[in-house]
Amino acid sequence: MTDAPQPPRKTLSETLDRWSDRVTQWRVWRHPVARLAIVILGALLFALAVTVPLELEQQLVFAAVCFALALILNTATGRLATLAMIVLSVTASLRYMYWRLTSTLGFEDLIDAFFGFGLVAAEIYALLVLLLGYFQTAWPLGRKPAPMPDDPSTWPTVDIFIPTYNEPLDVVRQTVYSAVGMDWPVDKFKVFVLDDGRRPEFKAFCEEVGVGYITRDNNAHAKAGNINHALTLTDGEYVAIFDCDHIPTRSFLQICMGWFLRDPKLAMLQTPHYFFSPDPFEKNLNTFQVVPNEGELFYGLVQDGNDLWNATFFCGSCAMIRRAPLLEVGGVAVETVTEDAHTALKMNRKGYNTAYLAIPQAAGLATESLSGHVGQRIRWARGMAQICRVDNPLLGPGLTLGQRLCYLNAMMHFFYGLPRLVFLTAPLAYLLLNAHVFQATAFLIAAYALPHLCHASVTNSRMQGRFRHSFWNEVYESVLAWYILRPTLYAFINPRAGKFNVTAKGGITEEGFFDWDMARPYIVLLALNLLGAVVGIGKLFFMESPDVSTLLINLAWTGYNIIMTGAAVAVANETRQVRRSPRVGMRMPATLRFASGKTLACETIDFSQTGIGLRVPADVEIPMDEPMHVSLYRGQEEGVFPVAAAFRRGDHLGLQFQPLNVQQEVELAQLTFARADNWASVWGQRQRDSLPRAFASVLRISLKGFTDLARGLVRLVTPSRRARAVSSTLHTRD
Amino acid sequence: MKIIAVFSAKGGVGKTTVTANLSTALSQEGHKVLALDLDPQNALHLHFGGDPQRIEGISRATLAGDDWRNAGILSPAGVAVMPYGAVNEQDRRAFESLLENQPGWLLERLAALNLGEDDLVVVDTPPGPSVYMQTALTAANLAIAVMLPDAASYATLPMMENLVQTYCTPRPDFLGLGFVLNQVDNSRLLARDVSQVMRTDFGERIVGSIHHDQSVCEALAFNQSVLEYDPRCQATQDYLACARSIAEALTTFRPSP
Repeated sequence: MTDAPQPPRKTLSETLDRWSDRVTQWRVWRHPVARLAIVILGALLFALAVTVPLELEQQLVFAAVCFALALILNTATGRLATLAMIVLSVTASLRYMYWRLTSTLGFEDLIDAFFGFGLVAAEIYALLVLLLGYFQTAWPLGRKPAPMPDDPSTWPTVDIFIPTYNEPLDVVRQTVYSAVGMDWPVDKFKVFVLDDGRRPEFKAFCEEVGVGYITRDNNAHAKAGNINHALTLTDGEYVAIFDCDHIPTRSFLQICMGWFLRDPKLAMLQTPHYFFSPDPFEKNLNTFQVVPNEGELFYGLVQDGNDLWNATFFCGSCAMIRRAPLLEVGGVAVETVTEDAHTALKMNRKGYNTAYLAIPQAAGLATESLSGHVGQRIRWARGMAQICRVDNPLLGPGLTLGQRLCYLNAMMHFFYGLPRLVFLTAPLAYLLLNAHVFQATAFLIAAYALPHLCHASVTNSRMQGRFRHSFWNEVYESVLAWYILRPTLYAFINPRAGKFNVTAKGGITEEGFFDWDMARPYIVLLALNLLGAVVGIGKLFFMESPDVSTLLINLAWTGYNIIMTGAAVAVANETRQVRRSPRVGMRMPATLRFASGKTLACETIDFSQTGIGLRVPADVEIPMDEPMHVSLYRGQEEGVFPVAAAFRRGDHLGLQFQPLNVQQEVELAQLTFARADNWASVWGQRQRDSLPRAFASVLRISLKGFTDLARGLVRLVTPSRRARAVSSTLHTRD
Repeated sequence: MKIIAVFSAKGGVGKTTVTANLSTALSQEGHKVLALDLDPQNALHLHFGGDPQRIEGISRATLAGDDWRNAGILSPAGVAVMPYGAVNEQDRRAFESLLENQPGWLLERLAALNLGEDDLVVVDTPPGPSVYMQTALTAANLAIAVMLPDAASYATLPMMENLVQTYCTPRPDFLGLGFVLNQVDNSRLLARDVSQVMRTDFGERIVGSIHHDQSVCEALAFNQSVLEYDPRCQATQDYLACARSIAEALTTFRPSP
């Protein structure tokens, strides 16, 4: 983790490093009694800092000093500063919660108590997730690939599984070509397409390429059942699993295998899920490759943090598993809809290790539409709730405390639905219903709550900055909260029910539209908060002797909620997407060979499954009607592919691949999608987080949400001209 | 002064074309380059805009005892070119026996030109073993073998290695043998396989790989190097890349004065 904001102030960082080195090398630590003593002393001091009662002014001074210390620490690089900031943040948050539970709950009537206890429950949940998050990500392991032995004849055998159900062949094809081109001894790996759709064209394709094709006579337990069935028909020592739309790089096996050879107890190694097409957030908010997407925090930081505690979990794809332990736990788990995480949990329980390598070794298509994206998250949330019930990681044998806590957080995380909705409506209790959910003065609330919030944001921004920008967590959660609330509660109550959704990918959104169905919950929340704001402002001006400070606090909170729900509304405005195969930007040398035998040295702009874009000098004449060949390179390796010109715009030449044979397809895959450095070079390289910039971007998106909503309303009220034109032509036909 | 001898075991591999284009590429990369033709075909200067009727050259100048400087031309791209010159059979034999009897001849004559320490001399030779090849290899700091990615060229490898061992290797100022693959067309399976094998065998010693390119042939028809004729074609880029890797190899040593 390079976890400090730049520019680092060297002196402070160095001082801290020297300091920690010296202190940790003290001989006294070798003595168990000394260790125990310092732990007890620390715990006592900590308890004191959390619980000691202070007057308002004293609390203000204490909070200011702590926060100033955090800001100073934040200028230093290194993990000691991060850990120290975590301690300050935990202190501020626990101090707040202690005060909250001991001094603010004296409710006078039932309505106050209802909303008050509801809010405090949501806060306890948020605090627990914050603490578990710190625990989980305080020290990302940062595992590096272990080298392979020099002699490839000693390398083990691998089966590559590509399960599919209803995805189009075009999507699966690319994955198969890339898998076939893997840099691994050819007699030591086999590729299998596991087709639960039992489609003849898939069978024909697999025969043509020369890869295995496996079907079964039922679809029991969906993907998990599909894989388990294939396990009975294959015999490689290892199994690599790729969702059919996750295109592996050619280096995947070599990068991942090293650790299995080094650690005989290693059962599963996961790599990140990287997406080269924008997810609905990135597409509809136009933040692709600018703001880290929803998954990046998990794969960038959380899994790496889990790895320290030997609690990495399997994510269903882009992972390698040792066959023997997998069979030992009965194959992929079938009891829950998140079979992947559950399988890892079972293997961890058996004493096997799991590992994470934060190097993207595959890339896939993100879910196209918001409804599809939400559907996928619902499945994860439901599955995690199921695991929580049927195989709770806090209970049962075989896990270390660290593993239990990491799994617990993974599960707890998906229960954010209700707490998020509580936070999005909490100020309304006061503004609309006049309920006093806090039995304390506004100043005291500020003196305790603000340090808790400020420390948490500064610390999280430092720890997560590369993979999650500030405030975006609220945006993502606000969008999903309503939708995952019911499935998680339902699955928690009845874990045996639940069906597996397959998310549709590779489609096109013919026309931009406002997804009213999806947006409905956000619009309701937005309307309520707007109403709350109006009422609150009304009270402020027209009420006799209003409680100004309490009103202001609630108005500020409601304002924040309006911004967040506005951003959620913006996500529901689906933008038009016409390209069936998304392009990947990549600059690399290329050669264009014309029918005349002459050539043009140039470079690529981007590539897709069907074509390639080249940058050519604007004054070069290109014979657009002639067949051409394009050469792509990887070091000394060159692949030559027949192409036809598709378009020319200034220095941008678009080419379309002509029909290729299997060997050419595999080679093309190796030179484009399967390049080892494709995705790793951009991983975690997004703009770093800064609180004001992140807030400005969320604010901008929220404003866009309001305009989108207004436009959608106008369109709804006045039927569009085009629609009228269509209906009128229909009339004339009559 | 650093001497690069370009040679090949068999004819028709485009050795003279490589010499000419490589010289221009080295010159474009900022080096002072002298291209020296030790091939009685006397074709090198034609690549540099030389007059086909021109008869002056080092063979005549040597036999007549004239200063080489008057025998040379300067190409539009800035390469100094010493043609072989047009001689009758008798003079050619006399010149060849002179080379045979004076092993230090080439170095002496080059020394008389007072070239700078980093100036490059690229020497073209006729295909196969000959007194010219012997002369060039004996003086060379770097030997460049030109090959086609085909089976016939591949079969000549042992012979070329042998020649280099005989004439070059014992000297401390000899850097080594490099290979240039010419007329590479990777859309052909055989060409690709041979390239692959050679890359496995020689790795870094392959200092250049020049694509088959129509512009290379057309350039000669215009008495130009391909670098001037078609600066954007792939062969031009390949020659520049080759020039860079040769220059890189040459920086690793200081020639003995």
